[in-house]
Amino acid sequence: MSATSITVPTSRQGGLGPDGPDLPGRPSRRRRPRDESDEGGRINWWLTVLLMVLALTIVVPLYFTVVTALKTPDQLGGSGFGLPTEVRLQNFADAWTLTNFPRTALNSALITVGAVVLTLLTNSMVAYAIARNMHRRLFKVLFYYFVSALFVPFPILMLPVAKQTAALGLDNQLGLVLLYVVYGLSFNVFIFVAYIHSIPRELEEAAVVDGASTWTVFWRIIFPLLAPMNATVGILTCLWAWNDFLLPLVIVSDPAGATLPLVQYVFQSQFSANYTVAFASYLMAMAPLLLVYVFAQRWVISGVTRGAIK
Amino acid sequence: MATTTSTAARRAAPSRRSTARRPGGERLQPAFLWMVLPAFVLFFVFHTVPVLQGIFYSFTDSPGYGEWNWVGLSNYVALLSDARIGSAYLFTLQFAFVTTILVNALALGLAVGLNGKIKFKNTLRGVYFIPNILAILVVGYVFNYLFSSSIPAIARALGAEGRLSTSILADPQLAWIGIVILAVWQATAFNIIIYLAGLQTVPGELYEAASLDGAGRWRQFRSITFPLIAGFFTINMVLSLKSFLQVFDHIVAMTNGGPGTATESVGLVIYRGGFQGGEYGYQIANAVIFMIVIIVFAIVQLRVLQRNEVSPS
Amino acid sequence: MAALTALTMLTAAGLAGCSSSSQTELLFFQFKPEAVAFFEQAAADFEAENPDIRVVVDNVPDPETALRTRLVKGDVPDVLTLNANGTFGELASAGIFADFADAPVMQTVTPSYAEVIADLGASAPGAVNGVPFAANASGVLYNEEIFAANGVEVPQTWDELIAAAQTFEAAGITPFYGMLADAWTAQSPLAPLTAQTAPDDFFAARFAGDTTFEQGWEEAALKLAELYEYTQDDPGAFGYQEGTRAFAEGESAMLLLGSYAVPQIRTFEPEFTISSFALPATDDPAETTLVSGVDVVFTIGADTPHREEAMRFIEFLMEPDRVAAYAEEQVAVPCVEGIENDDPALAGVQSYIDEGRIVGFTDHQFIPAVPLTQLLQEYLATGDTREFLVDLDTAWDQVAQRRTWGLGAVQG
Repeated sequence: MSATSITVPTSRQGGLGPDGPDLPGRPSRRRRPRDESDEGGRINWWLTVLLMVLALTIVVPLYFTVVTALKTPDQLGGSGFGLPTEVRLQNFADAWTLTNFPRTALNSALITVGAVVLTLLTNSMVAYAIARNMHRRLFKVLFYYFVSALFVPFPILMLPVAKQTAALGLDNQLGLVLLYVVYGLSFNVFIFVAYIHSIPRELEEAAVVDGASTWTVFWRIIFPLLAPMNATVGILTCLWAWNDFLLPLVIVSDPAGATLPLVQYVFQSQFSANYTVAFASYLMAMAPLLLVYVFAQRWVISGVTRGAIK
Repeated sequence: MATTTSTAARRAAPSRRSTARRPGGERLQPAFLWMVLPAFVLFFVFHTVPVLQGIFYSFTDSPGYGEWNWVGLSNYVALLSDARIGSAYLFTLQFAFVTTILVNALALGLAVGLNGKIKFKNTLRGVYFIPNILAILVVGYVFNYLFSSSIPAIARALGAEGRLSTSILADPQLAWIGIVILAVWQATAFNIIIYLAGLQTVPGELYEAASLDGAGRWRQFRSITFPLIAGFFTINMVLSLKSFLQVFDHIVAMTNGGPGTATESVGLVIYRGGFQGGEYGYQIANAVIFMIVIIVFAIVQLRVLQRNEVSPS
Repeated sequence: MAALTALTMLTAAGLAGCSSSSQTELLFFQFKPEAVAFFEQAAADFEAENPDIRVVVDNVPDPETALRTRLVKGDVPDVLTLNANGTFGELASAGIFADFADAPVMQTVTPSYAEVIADLGASAPGAVNGVPFAANASGVLYNEEIFAANGVEVPQTWDELIAAAQTFEAAGITPFYGMLADAWTAQSPLAPLTAQTAPDDFFAARFAGDTTFEQGWEEAALKLAELYEYTQDDPGAFGYQEGTRAFAEGESAMLLLGSYAVPQIRTFEPEFTISSFALPATDDPAETTLVSGVDVVFTIGADTPHREEAMRFIEFLMEPDRVAAYAEEQVAVPCVEGIENDDPALAGVQSYIDEGRIVGFTDHQFIPAVPLTQLLQEYLATGDTREFLVDLDTAWDQVAQRRTWGLGAVQG
C-alpha cells in the first residue's frame, strides 16, 4: 500500500482503493493531465518570466555552439559570444567530409532505429509477463534479476562481452542492436512494470472470456495502452543508442560499421587545432536528434510526463 | 491513489491477494513463460555471464588478453593501499552527493514551476528538456571551452582580478565545480520530466481545498505536493546517485581527471588503468568493489527514503 | 552417406575456389588522427598497384582500448600503425606482433631508430617487433625573429638557456608559453632533462630497486620547475591550443615542445619560420642529446594468415618517396636512411639526428599504470619537489608490487 492512498481521501478519489485498477469500470487513464486547455484561473506571469529567464541557461550554451561553428578561426578569442562578422559555412563542409557524415550518420541511424523498434516490441512484453505474475516467486525473482543490473558498472563486463559477441559472430551492428535491447531491459522493465500495474485487468479479463489468447491480449489490448510509456522508453533508447561511445567502440569490429560518436572522437584531437570546425561537427552530431525533437516535441513531452513511472 | 511509484514490488503485495481471488488466476499461462524466456536467456548470456567472467578476472593478473595467473585476493589487498584509488573514491562520492542533491532540488523546483499556471507551458517544457537529448561528451567539450576561454575573458573584460579571470578547470580546488555544473545542466532535464509526471498525479482539488483553508504556497508544497510525489523523489534520488557515482564522460570532456589527479573519478581510474594502462585484473577488482559500494548506497537510500515516504510530515 | 560426403567435398571445393579467386583483405589499424588522409590515400594507391589486395583502413578512436578489445576477441589486425610507447613495448613483449629482425625492409631503416623500437620491448631476445616509419624531435621550438631582435643566440648550455629566458622576460616577452591545462605537455621538457641529468642506467637500477626517483631525478625535477618559472601567469589555465596559437602570434619566444607541434602552429600562421634546438640540460654542450621518439611504427599481427600481403603493404609504405612525403606533411623525422627532411623547423636539430645523438622518451620506460603525467601537472602547480619525487617512488613501488608480468614485473 502506498503512501499516497493514505493521504488522499478526496472525493475524486473516493471510489478508488489502494489497488485502484481492480475496481470495475475504471477507465485506464483515470486522471487526465491538466493541459493548458482545461486550466482555469489566471496566468502567473511572474512565474512565467522567471522560468523564461532560467531557460536562458539552456539556450545560451546552444547559442554559443552555433555562433562558434559559424566563425572563422581568427574571430575566436574574447568571450566568444559575439555574432560572427563573417559566416564561414566551410566549417560544416569540413566536418562533413572529415567525419564521413553520410555513412556514419546512416550507421548510427540504423542502429538507433533498430534498437528502438526491437526494444519497444520486446521489453514491454517481458514487463507485461512479469507485472501480471509478480505474485509468483519466479517472476518476482526475474524482476529483481533484471533491475539489479542497473547497478553493475559497465567496465566489469566490457571485455568479456566483447569476446562473447565476437565468438558468436555478433561483433557488428546487429550485435550492437541486440545489446541495446538486452541491456535496456533493466531500466525498461522497471518502469514498464510500474505502469502496467496501473492498467486495469478488467479489459484483459473481458477479452479472455471472449476467447482471446494471452498473446492476443498483449498485442491488441496492452500494447496500445502502453503508448505513453512506449514514448518514454523509445526516446530514452534513442538517446542512448545515438550518443553512446563505449559499446560501439568495443563491439563493432568492422570499420565500416563505425558510428558517429566514434568518428567524432577520432577527429577530436585533429579538431582541437580548429575549434570552429569542431563546433560545427558537434552541431552536426546534435542536429538529427534536435530535429527529431523539434518535430516530436509536443508528443514527447506529453507522452513522457504522462507515462513516466506511474 | 496507488499510482506511485516507488517500486513495483510494493504494489505487488495487494495485487497478489486480488489475483488469487480470481478464478483462473492460479494457473500460470504458458504464454507468459514464452514471453520472458528469450529475454532471460539473452540477458543471462550477454550480461550475467560476462559479469561473472569479469569478477573471475578480478582474481587474476590478466592484462585483458592472453595468458593470466591466479593471484587470489592480492588485487583486492593492493587496492586498499592505493592512495590514487582512495582519492578517486572520495572525489566520486563528494561529486555524486552534491550533484544528486542539486539536480533534484533544481528539478523539483522547476517541475513545480512548469506545472503551474504559466504562459508558453509546452514551449518552456520543451526547452528545459533539450539538455537531455545531447551527448554529454559533446556538451562537455562546449562547456570546457566556455569555462577555459569565455568566462575568464568576460571576467577580465569586467575588470575582475584573481580567481574568476582564469579557468576554474585549472584549479585543483575548484575544477570539480565545473564538472558539477555540467552534470547539473545536463541531468536536470530528465528529472524534471519524472517530477512532472509525478505532479500529474496530484489532484488539483487538493490545492483548492488547501487555499480555502488559508495554506500558503510553501505549506501546500510541504503538506500536499511533496508527500504525494515522494515516490518519484525516491526514484530520482536513487537513479541520480547511481549514475553520478559512475561519472565518466563528464570528466573526460572537461578535465580528463586533472589538474593532477584532482578530479579522477572511480570510473575514470578503472578505464584508464584497466583498459589503457594494462592493469585489467587489478582495476576489475576495483570495479567489483565499486559495484558493491553502488549497491549498498542504493539499498540505504531506498530504506531511508521509503521510510519517509510512508510517514510524510 | 556417400552423397553426404560428396556434398561436403563439393562445398569445401566451392569455398576454397571462392577464397582463392577473391581478393585478400587486409585490416589496417591506424591510430594517428592527423594522418588519416595520408594513410587512406596510401592504401588506395597500394590497392591500385596490387589488385589482389584490398586494404580496409580502420581509423580507431582511443587506440589502446580498441586494440586491447581486438586482442580479447582474438582479432589482431593484419597491419597496424602505432605510437612506439610503453604500451607498444608491453604488447610486443607479449608476443602479439611479428618479428622483423630479418625482414629486408629493416635494412633501409636508420639503425638508431630500430634500436629505439627494440629497447621498448620484444617478443624474444634479438627480435624487433616493428618497422619505424617516422620520428619526432623533441626539444625547444623558438621564434627566430624574437631571438634576433633581442640579440639572443641559440643556447648551448643550461645557463645560457636560463639567461635567454631572463632576457626575454626583462623585455616583456613570455619566454616559454605554459600549457599545463594539457598535462602531457610537461612531459616534453621532462624527457631531455631526465635523459641528460639522471645516470645512464637509471631505469635498469630503478626496476631492480637499487635507486629511487628521489635520488636520480632531483636535478631534473628542480630544473623543470625552474623552466616553468619563466612562463606567462597561470600556465595551468592554458592548453596546447592556446600555447601553439600564442607562439604563432609572436607572444612567446619559445615553446617546450617537439616537431610534432609544428603543423598545428602553422595552421595559425602558415608563413611563420619556426626553428628548433635541442634542450641543453647541463653546462657541457657535449652532453646534450636530442629526445626523439618513434611517432609511427608499422607492425603486423603475429598470427595473421596474410603475412606476405601485409609485408608487401609495409614495404610499399616504406618506399622512400612515401616516407619523404609523410615526413614533409607532418614535419617528422624520416626513419629511413638517406632521407632527410629539410623543413627549417628541423634544421637546428638535424646534426643530432645525423650523428645519432638521440635518446627515446623517458616516459616510454614508464609502467603505464604509474600516473606520471598527473603527478607532473600537480608538481608544477604546487612546486613541491620532494613530494613529487616521493609520490613518484611510492606509485612506482606500488604498481611494481602488484605486477606479475610485463614492464616492471617482479622477477622471480
